[in-house]
Amino acid sequence: MKITIERAALQRALTAAGRVIESRNTLPILANVLLRSETGTLSIHATDLDIEAVAKVACEGEDGSACVDAKLLTGIVAKAGGSEITLELVNGSVIIKSGRSKFKLGTLPIEDFPQLSDATFDAEFDMDIAAAFAPVRFAISNEEARYYLKGVFFHAKDGKFAAVATDGHRLAESTGEIDAEFAGVIVPRKLCEMLPAGNVSIAVSSTRIRLTTAALVLTSKLIDGTYPDYIRVIPTSNDKIVTVDKAAMTAAADRVSTIATERGAAVKLSIAPGQIAFSKAADGNTADDEIAAEYTGEPVDIGFNSKYLHEMFAVLPSGPIDIHVNDGMSPALVTSPAVEGWRGVLMPVRVS
Amino acid sequence: MAVQQLPDTLINQIAAGEVVERPASVVKELVENAIDAGAKRVEIATAGGGKSLIRVSDDGSGMSPEDLALAVRRHCTSKLGGGLNDIRTLGFRGEALPSIGSVAKLKIVSREPGAESGYEVRVDGGAGGEPRPAPANPGTMVEVRDLFFATPARLKFMKGERAESGAITEVIRRMAIAFPHVRFVLSGPDRMTTEFSTAARPIDRISQVLGREFADNAIEIEAVREDVQLSGHVGVPTYNRANSLNQYAFVNGRPVQDKQIMSALRAAYSDRIPRGRFPVAVLMIELDPALVDVNVHPAKADVRFRDPGLVRGLIIGAIRQALEREGDRASTSGTTGMLSALRPQGAAPAYRPANVSYRPPANWSQEASPYRPQNTEVPFGFAEPVQPGFIDAEIPSARAEDIPPQTAAPQASHPLGAARAQVHENYIVSQTQDGLVIVDQHAAHERLVFEKLKGAMSGGRLPSQMLLLPEIVDLPEEDCDRLAEKAADFEQLGLGIERFGPGAIAVRETPALLGEVDVPSLVRDLADEIAEWGDAAGLRDRLESVASTMACHGSVRSGRLLKPEEMNALLRQMEATPGSGQCNHGRPTYITLSLADIERLFARR
Repeated sequence: MKITIERAALQRALTAAGRVIESRNTLPILANVLLRSETGTLSIHATDLDIEAVAKVACEGEDGSACVDAKLLTGIVAKAGGSEITLELVNGSVIIKSGRSKFKLGTLPIEDFPQLSDATFDAEFDMDIAAAFAPVRFAISNEEARYYLKGVFFHAKDGKFAAVATDGHRLAESTGEIDAEFAGVIVPRKLCEMLPAGNVSIAVSSTRIRLTTAALVLTSKLIDGTYPDYIRVIPTSNDKIVTVDKAAMTAAADRVSTIATERGAAVKLSIAPGQIAFSKAADGNTADDEIAAEYTGEPVDIGFNSKYLHEMFAVLPSGPIDIHVNDGMSPALVTSPAVEGWRGVLMPVRVS
Repeated sequence: MAVQQLPDTLINQIAAGEVVERPASVVKELVENAIDAGAKRVEIATAGGGKSLIRVSDDGSGMSPEDLALAVRRHCTSKLGGGLNDIRTLGFRGEALPSIGSVAKLKIVSREPGAESGYEVRVDGGAGGEPRPAPANPGTMVEVRDLFFATPARLKFMKGERAESGAITEVIRRMAIAFPHVRFVLSGPDRMTTEFSTAARPIDRISQVLGREFADNAIEIEAVREDVQLSGHVGVPTYNRANSLNQYAFVNGRPVQDKQIMSALRAAYSDRIPRGRFPVAVLMIELDPALVDVNVHPAKADVRFRDPGLVRGLIIGAIRQALEREGDRASTSGTTGMLSALRPQGAAPAYRPANVSYRPPANWSQEASPYRPQNTEVPFGFAEPVQPGFIDAEIPSARAEDIPPQTAAPQASHPLGAARAQVHENYIVSQTQDGLVIVDQHAAHERLVFEKLKGAMSGGRLPSQMLLLPEIVDLPEEDCDRLAEKAADFEQLGLGIERFGPGAIAVRETPALLGEVDVPSLVRDLADEIAEWGDAAGLRDRLESVASTMACHGSVRSGRLLKPEEMNALLRQMEATPGSGQCNHGRPTYITLSLADIERLFARR
């Protein structure tokens, strides 16, 4: 192998593929990228055994392949002085030259590099998956024991898709139109955090999902589990609807939780016609605040974890937000008139 | 082979398998007999780790020839008059002597105090057993030779001589703590002679057995709940050991090694002792014999309480109360170690030869030095000259402060004294009425924050996060029953559970403090805990451990410079806070160095 590549393009490709690589690895090969040049294209493979990334970049020169340390290669390419980089495999080492600098990196056998097994896909379609997942990602669970909640539940039926995340304390669902149909799959958190922006080609099966853009192909295993019947917990008959301004609401919740001493600080909301009063008591201190709100129903008291409130409101655009409540003991539904197809559910905190 | 009644010797040998496990168990049985006979003096001699000889002599009530003949027969005892519900003696099974007789060469010589002559009876591997007259002192002497000669298989499983003789010492130590009014002498060619002379108070005997250091670092406990009485001595948390060998428990005077008692002891110290370290404690539990079953195992080391939850609660409550009362006491062993570290190498022994009264050379003036700190007055003379030295030090890590006179004088009401300086940005040096105290500011402040958080947690119901999807945990029906019974307690801590059919529990809310939590494993742990102990402290412990982590992050770090006012405020808060003698990880938060110790360092005493 002896090839010449444009430095900036190589850096972009290495960064894109390298995001799959874990910072600490027990298997040395997983800290490597597999470089494979074939008829004018260099493909850069990286994997953590669950997700495989293949980035492509144009190159000139002889075909060949080699496995080198991803972190070192990325660092060298980022700092290199020249606008072009040559990679050459000589006696089991990769020689990297750019401008007047020269590096020699050791390699690992290419046949040791793990390959995800091939899979057949049930559905193929194009969509902006990053935009669809972005407003629900915050609700993904971190709890090892409920591994099936550690991702976004994604399914499509009758021309509509839904992406859902929940940790059992809150839930978010984003829906939209789609030209495909497939049974629900659970997309792992790590993939959700590295989705390419914009429209991508997607292929799904019951065990794999593949996202393809011009420069990058991401193939990931799916979480093998049964997602709970989430529709059941989305309240449909909460008739007390209060409309608040996003900025005013988050600022007030933030202000009163200043005095909180503990994690998961609960804030009490007293909803009354025309206003919401916020209150918080901790460690002998109290905080009270008030914001204007559109509301005409019966007064309701309800407590929320201020962090959950903040994270949910953060995914919505500024402006009015509707909170649908029933009573202080049952789930509240959050919607935004500006975001069609999005719903959030917050479970209250019981505060004395 | 047809079914047949086994011969007596074989029956005894089978019983011996459980009763007489090793030489130490023989010693235990024989010493128990001596004490049950009302002995005031028990002498034990062993040879070959007890395998070749065990001899136990006492000055107890002795036995008549008729009794002697019966004593070596199985299920003959003088001790079980009131039935198994009213056991007031150490022994009661009537198995020990015949069992020993079946596996060893047993000789008993006994004389009742009023009797004209003594009698002896011999049993060799089960054979013999007719008493005949023999010369004897009042009391009983039991001699066991060639233990297990009749059961060679067991002999093979014996450990080395040293290990067996160590086990015998341990038995005597336990007995000695249980019976302070009895004199014990343990001797033999395989050991140094150990003597525990009659002690007037239990603590005197405890310090004979566990060493003076334990007595110095022990807190007396005394508590009664319903009909159960607990007394004893427990070590301060900073006086801890790497194993649990120094934990002694006695139920109605009987030494026991009971899992439940030991676990209660561990729980009582849970947030005060680091993991892997063990408190030192002597616990005496007295209760109506009908409320406890000692007939669990022939070795009688296990007991079953009628109400284990009560006993556990009593132990934990009494120890915690005692530790809180004396909570700011730190171990003196640190100071002792420090003193020896401070002494000039090799010089100290010359000043104070052991046990020889020290006489100064004749030409040495006997007057007190004019620079000697004045104990009776405010010792300004100590503070002032030292401070300029700190300032001049090349490494500016110690700061001296002009301390306003009103805070400078150590007062009797302030046991931690007045702050004098902060050294190495972490240690507060404070002067007390009779010495000085060095405080680790981070450890001390961490404890203060922790105690405050704990206090906040115990007031009122804790906030709970309701769950969108109630967690259904499948459990055996008994566990569900037990959990459901405690539902109200859990609710107070923010865990909302309810019965979900016969074999499952639905969790609807979890403590908000725990954030996202693995609900099934939490509930299973709690169920296990209730099953074993009758209460579930685990949830509170979990919450407290969250509080403890937050306390660590929320406290004054090492390296923070503190102003004199801050240092004094920290000392005053420590005095007011129970348990401030050690940090959440169990390390001491301060050590004291008494003026006497300082004077000793300078050979003024």
